[in-house]
Amino acid sequence: MSMGELFSEVGPIHGWAMATAALVSVGAAAVGSMLVVRKMSLLGDAISHAVLPGIVVAVLAGGQPGGPLVILGAIVAALLTVWLTHVLRRGVGLAEDASTGVVFTTFFSIGVILLTSVASQVDLDPACVLYGILELVPFDTVTLYGCEIPRSFLNSLVVVGIVGLGLIVSWRLQVFVAFDLAGARAAGMPVALATIVLLLFTAMTVVAGFEAVGAILIVAMLVVPAAAAELLVHRMHHVVCMAVMLAVTGSIVGYLAAWHLNTNAAGMIAVVLGFEYALAVVFAPADGFVSDLMSVAWLRWRVACEDQLAMIWRFEESAGVRRVTPPKGLIDCVARQWLAVTGQIRSKNGQWRLDSYSRTKAESIVRSHRLWEAWLGRHADLPLDHLHPPAEFIEHHLGSRLLRQIEDDLGQERRDPHGSDIPPEQ
Amino acid sequence: MNLSNMAFEGLFAYNTLVVMIGTAAVGFAAGMVGSLGVLRKRALVSDAAAHVTLAGVATVFALTGKRDLPVLLAGALCAAIVGVAVLVFLKRFTRTRDDAVTAIVLSVGFGAGIAIVAGMTARGVPGSAGLEHFLLGHTAALTSGDAALLAIVSVVSVSVVAMLFKEVSLIAFDQSFAAATGWPVAFLDYLLVVLVAVMVVVGLPAAGAVLVTALVVIPPVAARQWTDRLVVMLMVAGLIGMVSAVGGVALSAIVPRLATGPVIVLFAAVIFFVSCLVAPKRGLLARVARSLRSQGIADEHG
Repeated sequence: MSMGELFSEVGPIHGWAMATAALVSVGAAAVGSMLVVRKMSLLGDAISHAVLPGIVVAVLAGGQPGGPLVILGAIVAALLTVWLTHVLRRGVGLAEDASTGVVFTTFFSIGVILLTSVASQVDLDPACVLYGILELVPFDTVTLYGCEIPRSFLNSLVVVGIVGLGLIVSWRLQVFVAFDLAGARAAGMPVALATIVLLLFTAMTVVAGFEAVGAILIVAMLVVPAAAAELLVHRMHHVVCMAVMLAVTGSIVGYLAAWHLNTNAAGMIAVVLGFEYALAVVFAPADGFVSDLMSVAWLRWRVACEDQLAMIWRFEESAGVRRVTPPKGLIDCVARQWLAVTGQIRSKNGQWRLDSYSRTKAESIVRSHRLWEAWLGRHADLPLDHLHPPAEFIEHHLGSRLLRQIEDDLGQERRDPHGSDIPPEQ
Repeated sequence: MNLSNMAFEGLFAYNTLVVMIGTAAVGFAAGMVGSLGVLRKRALVSDAAAHVTLAGVATVFALTGKRDLPVLLAGALCAAIVGVAVLVFLKRFTRTRDDAVTAIVLSVGFGAGIAIVAGMTARGVPGSAGLEHFLLGHTAALTSGDAALLAIVSVVSVSVVAMLFKEVSLIAFDQSFAAATGWPVAFLDYLLVVLVAVMVVVGLPAAGAVLVTALVVIPPVAARQWTDRLVVMLMVAGLIGMVSAVGGVALSAIVPRLATGPVIVLFAAVIFFVSCLVAPKRGLLARVARSLRSQGIADEHG
C-alpha cells in the first residue's frame, strides 16, 4: 500500500484524530524534555493524575472540556499538588516519592468520586479520564471560517502554541536552570519563576491531552519520547527536536496500528512510544547497547593486536633471547593471523619480524609500558615484580601528553626499573 | 422500604461481609509490607508495578478466556515482576534517570494493558468489559472464595514479614551495615520487592491498578507520624490499611456506582492528614504547642 492510498483510506475522520494526537504529543514532548532533564518526570505523572478534580470542578462550574475555565481549574490543581508535595516533604518530613504518591492518589480519588457522584451533570466520561477517547475527537466539531474542525484539535492548537512560544521565549532561562540550578540562582535568575512556568506548561499540556489520550497515557507522551531523545542526541535543543519527531511518529504509527488491530488508540500510541524507547536503548549511536558492545569488542581487539606487536618487538630487541609465545586465547590467535595477513608481521625462518610501520606502533606501546613502570618504580614504592601487571594493563590507554609529562618527571633516566631502554618518542 | 434500608441489607449480606474480611486482611498486609517499602524509598516502584499489572490480567484473560480471580491475579503478579525487572534493568544499564525509567515502565505498561483490554472489548470477547473493574477497583463482584484467597495470601505475607522481621528491618534502615555483617542484602531486597508486588496484586480487586499504590504508601506514612518504633509502625500501618479498606468496601457497597478504590484511598488520606495534625510529637498541633511553650520560656527568661 502506497502512502497515497494509505491516506485516502485513512480519510478525514481518522486524519483529524491522528492530527490531534500528534499535536498533543508535540507539546507534551517539548515540555517533557524539560521535565526529564530536570528529574521531574514523576511530577509530570503526579500532575497528570492530580488535575482531575480541578477539571471536574471547572466543568461543574460551567466550563467547556478543554476550554479556558477547565485549563484554569487544572492549573490550580497542579499547583496545589506541587505545593502539597513540597509541604509534606519539608513540613512533615516524607521522602519525595512517598509525598508524591500520597498527593496524587488522593487528588485522583477525589476527582473520580466527584466524577461518579455528579457524572450525570458533567460532560465527562470516567473511562475517558483514564485512557482518552481519541476515536471520538473528530465528531465534536466547531465551525471556523466554514471549516468543521474538531474542538479538541483547536484547544490543543492554542495550548501547544502558547506552550511552544513560551518555551522558545524562556529557552535560555529554562536550560540554565535545568543544567545548573545553583549557577542560575547565583546569577540572579528567576529560578522559582522558571519552575512555576514549567509547571503551568505541564498542566496546560496535560489538560489538552486529557480528552485525547487520558490522564495516564499523557505521561507516556511527556516522558517516553524525551527519554529516548536523550539517549540519541546530547544538545538540549536537539533533544527537544528529536523528542518532538519521535512523538509525532509514535502518535501516527500508534494510531494506525490501533486502527488496524481494532483497539484503543491512546494505549497503542503509548506502546509504540515504548517501542521507540526500546530501539533507542539498543541502537543509540553513543549510548546504545549495540554501540557499547562494539566499542568493548573494538577495544579488546586493539589490545590483542598491540600485545602481539609488543611481544614481537621485545623478541627483536632481545636478539632472540626472549621468545614469541604461541597465542593464548582465540582473540590473540585471530589478531596474530590478521597481522600476518595484512603484512604487519612476517615469519622469516620460523621467526616473526615486524615491518617498519608496525615497528613504530609496537615501539610506542613498549614505550608507554616502560615509562609507566619507571614512574611506578619511582613513586609507588612497589616491589620490582609488581610493576609489570599494571603497566601491561595501562599501556594501551596512555596519551602522548601524559607520557611526555612522565618523561619530564623522570629527568635523565631513560631506563625502566628492570634495566631495559625506554624507546624514544617517534 | 427506603433506600438506606436496602443499602444496609446489602451491606450486611453474607457475601459483602466475607469480602470485607478478605479486603480487611489485604489492607492490613499492604500497610505492613508497604511500611518496609516506604522505608526503602520504593513508594513509586509499587506504582509502576501496579500499572503494569493490567497488562498481565488482560493477557492471561486473552490466553485462557477465564475470569477466575486466582488465574487473573497470577497473571498480574507475573506482569508486576516483569515490570520491576525491566525497571531494574533500565536503571542499571541505561543513562535514563531513575524517575524517567519509572514513568516509562508505568505509562507504557499501562498503555499495553489498555490496548489489550480495548482490543478484546472491540472483538466482543465475552466478559472482557468486566476487566475495566481492575482499573479503579470493584469489590461487589468478588465471591467468598476470592475473598478467602486474598485473605490467605495476606496472612502468608504478614507471616513472612514476621518471620524475617530482623532481616527486613535491617535492610530497611541500614543496607551497608547489613551487607558488612554478611546478610544476603540483594536476596532480601528482592524478597521485599516481591512482597510489595504481591501486595499490589492482592490489592488490585479492591483498589484497582491506578490507585492500589496508595494502599502501600499512605497507611505507612500515616503510621510514621505516630511512632518512631518499627514494630509499632508496622502494626499501626496495618490497622490504618485495614480501616481504610473496610471503610471503602462498605461505602462503595452502600452508594451505587461508586468505585471502591478511590473511596479506600480517601479514607486512608483522611487518616493521614488527621495524623499529621494531631499525632503526638510529630503532629502539627504538638509542634505548634511546643514552639509556643518554648517562646513562653524564652519570654520569661528574656
